[in-house]
Amino acid sequence: MDNHQVDTPDTPTTSRRSLLTALLAGGAVAAATPLLAGRASAEANDAIPANDPRDNAALNAAFERETRMAATYAIAVRNTSNKDDKAALVVIHDHHVGYAQIIKGYLATNAATPNSAPLGSPTGAFGPMAAQLAALENQTVEIHTGILAGLIGLNAATLIASIITVEARQAAALTFVSGSTPLAAAGI
Amino acid sequence: MTPSRPSYSRRNLLLSGGTIAAAGAVLAACGGSEPGTIARIGISPTTVKLPDAKVTDTVLLRTAMSFEAMIAALLSDPAVASVAPATAKPVIAAFANSRTATMAALSSLTTARGAQPVSEPNQKLMQSYGNTALQLIKDGNSEADALAFTLALETLTASTYQYFVSLTAEPALRADMMRLGAGASRRAAVAAQLINGGTKAFGPGLTEDGVAILATLPRAFGPLSTVQVGLGKPNEVGSLTTVLMDTPSLNSFIY
Repeated sequence: MDNHQVDTPDTPTTSRRSLLTALLAGGAVAAATPLLAGRASAEANDAIPANDPRDNAALNAAFERETRMAATYAIAVRNTSNKDDKAALVVIHDHHVGYAQIIKGYLATNAATPNSAPLGSPTGAFGPMAAQLAALENQTVEIHTGILAGLIGLNAATLIASIITVEARQAAALTFVSGSTPLAAAGI
Repeated sequence: MTPSRPSYSRRNLLLSGGTIAAAGAVLAACGGSEPGTIARIGISPTTVKLPDAKVTDTVLLRTAMSFEAMIAALLSDPAVASVAPATAKPVIAAFANSRTATMAALSSLTTARGAQPVSEPNQKLMQSYGNTALQLIKDGNSEADALAFTLALETLTASTYQYFVSLTAEPALRADMMRLGAGASRRAAVAAQLINGGTKAFGPGLTEDGVAILATLPRAFGPLSTVQVGLGKPNEVGSLTTVLMDTPSLNSFIY
């Protein structure tokens, strides 16, 4: 009788059983991952409407303010002769035109016809003119922040917030070039 | 001579058919009855589901406190002060100190809503970019880094409050947040003017050499994108290391 002996290694590197075990374990981990991951959601997104018609009156007020700011800067640009100063005022004028247009676009058919009268007639040397415009920018930031406190819809709130961010920057920049100290321009 | 047996007799067919039917019933009984379960080998510990993390107004306030504490710590770090030019040093220090009033305002808003104020800097963001930026400033030892870093941090602060407005449920609190964001915007404008002053630097543009100038008013609407700042030693082609800084988000909120 012939005896055949098969030598098996003491510790097989990869057996079918271990391979299957590993695959199943891996599958189990992959399937459990969504359960292990914490979920986060904005409370606001669950409860707060994206848009609300009750915001229309406040947004129309913001629309009118931006229209009047643009008209004021148009006068300031006309009354400025220095090339760099004029270019700077054109940049801010165009920002205000953009704000008026986007708020009007948001309101769509609910947009009222705004009063487009300028808020002043900036003229003379650039320093005092920049200070006058900075004061108007600061007022606009305050007006928009007051409007923001009453807005119900999230879309309108985020739109106004993105405008406030840049208008505060414009106010500080104009204050700085009007000759104020850095800390005064920063509001400190 | 008898004919050989047919390979399939009726008796054989009935027998094998019955066997198959019985085996099918046994196998069906062995099968799992709960759909969707995961097969596994051995004993597996029960997984404990993490609780849902709700981003409430108090979470945002507590996160804002940790964020402002981090900004104050970064601006007042000796690495920044040691490289800041003499004219900018008191301005940067004042920007850092202004956080005391900001923290007091946030603390009042937090406690008014029954939550615990936070005074520690946001560790997740410090690890993500704060520590890296400080190390680059130390290694670079460049005056320009102090104001560039200040501008980036104030821009990031303004973006943070603007972003939080979209997550805040209470309308009045959105306005409170934007008052703080507007303050950061003003400080950012001053930092930008200290780097590149005058009305020439208001809008985006190019120098005579075709290099983009650092604009005080780079865009019409407040951005929520990543803030990038070049810091440290210039490499072999003269570029600085770019540090990417993001507003706090779900993984860095203080719940």
